[in-house]
Amino acid sequence: MYIIKNAFKCIGRSRGRNILIGVIVFVIAVSACIGLSIRQAAESAKSDTLEGLTVTATISFDRQKAMNDIIQNAENDNSSENSGRPSFDRDKFSDFMGESSSLTLDEYKKYAEAKSVKDFYYSISTSFNGNDDFLPVSNDSSSDDEDTSSETESNRGPGGFFQPPEDIRNQMMGAQSDFTVVGYSSEEAMTSFIDGTATIVDGSVFTEGTSDAECIISQELANYNSIAVDDTITLENPNNEDESYEFTVVGIYTDSSSNESSFSIMGATSTDPANSIYTSYAALHTILDASGENSETVTDDTTGREFSTEIKSTLSATYVLSDVDSYNKFTEEVRELGLDESYNVTSSDISSYESSLVPLETLSKLAGYFLIVVLLIGAVILIVLNIFNIRERKYEIGVLTAMGMKKFKVALQFLTEIFVVTIVAVIVGVGVGGVSSVPVTNALLENQVAAESNQFNKIEENFGRPGNMIPNGNMVPNDMPQAQNGRPGNFFDENEVTDYINEIDEAMNLTVVFQMLGIAVLLTIVSGAVSMLFIMRYDPLRILANRD
Amino acid sequence: MAVLSLNNICFSYKDTPVLNDVSYDFERGKMYCIIGKSGAGKTTLLSILSGLAKPKSGSIMYDGRNIKKIDKYKFRSKYIGVIFQSFNLITKFTALENVILSMNIAGYRQQKKRDKALELLKSVGLDENEANRRVLKLSGGQQQRVAIARALSYDAEIILADEPTGNLDSETQNEIMAIFRALADSGKCVILVSHSPEVAAMCDEKYELIKYSKKTKK
Ligand SMILES: Nc1ncnc2c1ncn2[C@@H]1O[C@H](COP(=O)(O)OP(=O)(O)O)[C@@H](O)[C@H]1O
Ligand SMILES: [Mg+2]
Repeated sequence: MYIIKNAFKCIGRSRGRNILIGVIVFVIAVSACIGLSIRQAAESAKSDTLEGLTVTATISFDRQKAMNDIIQNAENDNSSENSGRPSFDRDKFSDFMGESSSLTLDEYKKYAEAKSVKDFYYSISTSFNGNDDFLPVSNDSSSDDEDTSSETESNRGPGGFFQPPEDIRNQMMGAQSDFTVVGYSSEEAMTSFIDGTATIVDGSVFTEGTSDAECIISQELANYNSIAVDDTITLENPNNEDESYEFTVVGIYTDSSSNESSFSIMGATSTDPANSIYTSYAALHTILDASGENSETVTDDTTGREFSTEIKSTLSATYVLSDVDSYNKFTEEVRELGLDESYNVTSSDISSYESSLVPLETLSKLAGYFLIVVLLIGAVILIVLNIFNIRERKYEIGVLTAMGMKKFKVALQFLTEIFVVTIVAVIVGVGVGGVSSVPVTNALLENQVAAESNQFNKIEENFGRPGNMIPNGNMVPNDMPQAQNGRPGNFFDENEVTDYINEIDEAMNLTVVFQMLGIAVLLTIVSGAVSMLFIMRYDPLRILANRD
Repeated sequence: MAVLSLNNICFSYKDTPVLNDVSYDFERGKMYCIIGKSGAGKTTLLSILSGLAKPKSGSIMYDGRNIKKIDKYKFRSKYIGVIFQSFNLITKFTALENVILSMNIAGYRQQKKRDKALELLKSVGLDENEANRRVLKLSGGQQQRVAIARALSYDAEIILADEPTGNLDSETQNEIMAIFRALADSGKCVILVSHSPEVAAMCDEKYELIKYSKKTKK
């Protein structure tokens, strides 16, 4: 086809102009390529992480929402008083939390019927005190005192973050106590033993599902109290010193996470993983039933609030879902099964997955804007260049049409020229962009991760706790007994510094190449459209006459 | 029968009338000269003949068909070969490339386009070296020869030439006129536009174009 030959000839005969256009397109291509690669990297990182991600979900009470509702109500009630700031009704809140915050096991089981649920397990978490023979591991000498249910502790957590008033906490999880005793429904529920964080070093795990009072304790705790396998330990109801229960230690475990001293800053002895005692759900449940029967109602001297001496427990249930899609389905299914709006389905896997992607996604978003800007500016430059080009080549167009070359063929030739120059520049640009996209992305990502971590640290500085974002934006205080991850003994897992994705090893792929090709075609069309318009408008006679 | 005929052609550039009621007939195998003073409207008439300009009124018939009904690109690229006064060559292309381009545009089917183009250029007095030079680097006379070669390249039935000898010395003028003569003798219709009576004298028939002024006729 002579049109193509002509096009190539014309490119060769106007090298200067074509090099200029080529360089501009090249710059656009490199920028676009890096931008696209970043987006692609974010995309692949997402799907790579998603693959092989078994999602565990929990249903938790949306405390933020409850608080807001109470504030809202208070505002409505007090609107006439005009006190400025609505006062928070703590009584109402504690009632609310006490009554409706946790679902019953039957309810949990009901939601486990959802089709998307692959596996379901639950555990119950309680607080017990020790006695003179059995003391919790603690860094704080004062807590050697067997009765650590400290009335003196303020409502401020470390760093001054708001914690629920003492009585609410007591009502929710019992008074400050020595040990956390967790009863597991099944072996699957003991995730830390499955993922390898914890291992049995002596004896064995209690029989699955047993209702015998068998338990396993941490090596630290065993050493601290010189306890061996088959010894018996006695635990007291923190609300009632006269009520005690015996457990046989059948195994001793080590938990790698308990070596981290950072846990001790949290104050509560029972939340130290070393002071976690694991047993079966059935065994613990038997004890709780007995405790419920023995309970009596007493009045707190200081607050005047009435509470039961029954051992408080927190039930947490974990739903295992095969993937994120199932998780999303699950969130809908539970509503169909009647889950109230004041409860949320959350997944620490997903939230940590999401937060690990934050820097990359932020970068990806920026890359998207950058891409749009680059393409817009590039398009404008190319359009302007092409207008100049066409005006300069008016005479040529006149000659070609006067010779009887159809206008669309002339336009096609011009378009081919633009396309060839563009595609060559894009190919070179993709090459250069491909080579540089990984180091550039990683350098940008490093900055972004640094910025993100900085923000994270700021949150920690200002709020006295690691910034822990739950997907819906709720800030979950660290000492909430609701185990987000089905590991009640280990509330802190989530607060470990997020493991950001901070490096990619491959950014370019076929998708990016195709996208770049698309961009090349787009740029050609955009700049070519202008040429077309001019070519179609030109009258050969006028052009040729003007030259005389 | 006339291969090309102008019937009562009137033309004006906006408000300035140039042609008024022009009617000429052109036959195959003859060489015509349209003679007129500078500014008489010769070039304008040629534009109309080649289909580049539309007359205000009147009709142009090609082989008994109104050229309005013929595809103007086909008409320009195949049926007529035009040698423009200002040559209208693609100056960044070589002489040879210009000739071949015309053949391509005409859809001229021949295997050895290059050979034919070189032969044509040789017949108008350009050697291979000159044929491969860019038009920009050729003299006015040489460019005129290229324009002639180009007009002849696709064997059009009608050859239109606007002052084809204007830039040539008398010796080459005679050479070129001989080429046109041969073309006419081979059955083509050759229409020359010139202000030179010398050229007109060599033609079979001449039409005199008089500059339009109020109430001038013929
Ligand atoms: N594009 C144009 N616009 C307006 N007037 C024109 C144009 N081209 C030519 N003319 C005028 O038309 C008349 C005829 O011009 P032209 O056909 O070039 O004459 P010739 O070729 O016989 O010298 C002249 O008076 C000229 O000024
Ligand atoms: Mg003229």
